[in-house]
Amino acid sequence: MIRFIVADLRKYWLGSTVVVLIVALAVALGVAVTLQERALRLGSARAADKFDLVIGAAGSENQLVLSSVFLQASPLPLMDGHVLAKLAADPRVAWAAPIGFGDSFTGYPIVGTTTALVHNLADGLAEGQVFAREGEAVIGSGVALKLGDVIKPMHGSAEEGGHTHTELAYHVAGRLRPTGTAWDRAILVPIEAVWDIHGMSDHEEAEAEPDHDHEAAADEHEHHADADAAITETWDADVPGLPAILVKPKTIADAYKLRQEYRAGATQAVFPAEILTRLYATLGDAKRVLFAVAIGSQVLVAASLLLVTVMHVAQRRRQIGALRAFGAPRGALLAIVWLELFVLVAIGIATGFGVGYAAAMVISQAVVDGSGVAMPVGFAREDIGFAVTLLGFSALIASVPAILAYRQSPASALRG
Amino acid sequence: MLSLELADISVTFPGLAAPVLAIERLSIPAGGRVAITGASGSGKSTFVNIVTGLERTHRGRIDWSGTDLNRLAESGRDRWRAAHVGLVMQDFHLFAGLSALENTLLPARLARAASAEIVERAHYLLQRTGVQRPEQRIETMSRGEMQRVAVARALLRKPGVVIADEPTASLDIESGEAVGSLLLELADQEQTTLVVVSHDKRLTDRLRRKITFDLGRIVGDTGLMEQAA
Ligand SMILES: Nc1ncnc2c1ncn2[C@@H]1O[C@H](COP(=O)(O)OP(=O)(O)OP(=O)(O)O)[C@@H](O)[C@H]1O
Ligand SMILES: [Mg+2]
Repeated sequence: MIRFIVADLRKYWLGSTVVVLIVALAVALGVAVTLQERALRLGSARAADKFDLVIGAAGSENQLVLSSVFLQASPLPLMDGHVLAKLAADPRVAWAAPIGFGDSFTGYPIVGTTTALVHNLADGLAEGQVFAREGEAVIGSGVALKLGDVIKPMHGSAEEGGHTHTELAYHVAGRLRPTGTAWDRAILVPIEAVWDIHGMSDHEEAEAEPDHDHEAAADEHEHHADADAAITETWDADVPGLPAILVKPKTIADAYKLRQEYRAGATQAVFPAEILTRLYATLGDAKRVLFAVAIGSQVLVAASLLLVTVMHVAQRRRQIGALRAFGAPRGALLAIVWLELFVLVAIGIATGFGVGYAAAMVISQAVVDGSGVAMPVGFAREDIGFAVTLLGFSALIASVPAILAYRQSPASALRG
Repeated sequence: MLSLELADISVTFPGLAAPVLAIERLSIPAGGRVAITGASGSGKSTFVNIVTGLERTHRGRIDWSGTDLNRLAESGRDRWRAAHVGLVMQDFHLFAGLSALENTLLPARLARAASAEIVERAHYLLQRTGVQRPEQRIETMSRGEMQRVAVARALLRKPGVVIADEPTASLDIESGEAVGSLLLELADQEQTTLVVVSHDKRLTDRLRRKITFDLGRIVGDTGLMEQAA
């Protein structure tokens, strides 16, 4: 019987291939949507993991989180610099690190911060050492530079038509271990250097929006930046305005207290994980839409499968009639027709899972390349349920032609 | 060996005024050698379909040695046919991709009836019908060889009757003659009743009894004359 099925499938290989392809594509679509949605959820949750509490100037919470966790450049309002001094002295704070954005180098965002963050962001350094001078930088694991390479910061980004700073060039001093977050693509530099380049440590009126009017400012002022100046990281009251401070509270209770405290007035304090959960609720709707599309295509595919199976039987009428005429029992014939179709659909489903997985991987890789956020693609237990449901459904569909095959006399089948 | 008693058979198709086949009474004794001839469209194939249970009629009696096909359900007729009828058709109905041997054995295998004995018999029958290479793929064989394989398949399960519908019509004269001889020899050797539908005079002349159909009716039967004489 198996030999017969194999011979038969080989004979109708073109039709069989089409059936497998149709099924595979439909399944792949559903699988890719499911996997990608999960990867997005896990990946960004993991990315937010590192950052317990983010404090910034009052404004959009989403923007604060997107900028600090995902390093999406957006002009954040600045808060008073001595918030940092206050936090650094707070006994409930394990560490607090300011971050300052605005510059980039060959597409990598340059983030001004302190050694506290460099020490705590990843599981240590992969090579080199933490920056100790203003002219040194630590790069994320995904930055395509080598130790000792020179980084000439560009104001804004090349796409925005930024200009290159001439005041200071950094040298790569160390490289972090991978974190699977957007920070893998970041170039970390001492925040004092950023202030110097932008002429902020002189207490000139801090540029509320670093992107604005800066070119003029850069041309007019001779900012001093000494690459060999050791970094001090002592926060006096003269600290310039800051877009965001990443805070690691000592306990959960401390975290809530700190949030409460800095939520009022000119600052805001957010738990990135909480903001992301809220964002997902919105994304969830998008997922439902996508999934409805996937289901819709699945239904279409089921319909076309039915069509294919009916044609499959029509094609085989003669064959089935002949087998009956020559003495093959009903059970064996039903099994053949059913098995043939089921095998095709099962191959299609398996292929679909493979293709869907591959597609999700490709998308995730693209996301990693683009943003540095690792999107872990993986199957979960509920996917088994999906596969079983699909198989069950196809088992049902496959029995349709088997039953149709017996709704005619063998004589008329032979004639056909 | 099976005998056949037909009574009161009438086959009509929707849209046709006259029945395609109408037989009041026909009897073929066990071991009979019957040729059935007639013009195209005279109902010969319809006759084959009815007496093998491939097509159902709701009237009359189709009695093979005591089994009335009209009283059997569809699957019952399938089973009965598998056990008692060896069929040979004009267009072989062999399955491409399988070897001669596999084709011979296919129905028996699907019915889980392919014992070692049956496999051995398949080898014997293929050799007996002159198929040189039982492992040869069926689609690479000549038409004459294909019909020999079909004859071997028909005889595999020792049927009580062999029924052939135009077994030589798609063969050249030489192969046709060989297949005709095979059918006659093997029917004798295996002791089965033999019914051959053909308008090949060389073949029908070699059978003892000739029944002629016209417009669905029996218009000549040399057996009746014998009985009368
Ligand atoms: N399912 C059907 N519906 C309508 N008419 C049919 C059907 N089957 C057979 N017929 C008609 O019955 C008549 C007898 O057909 P049959 O196939 O028995 O002829 P035949 O004697 O075998 O002819 P040939 O020598 O060409 O094979 C034909 O006129 C045919 O058109
Ligand atoms: Mg005919």
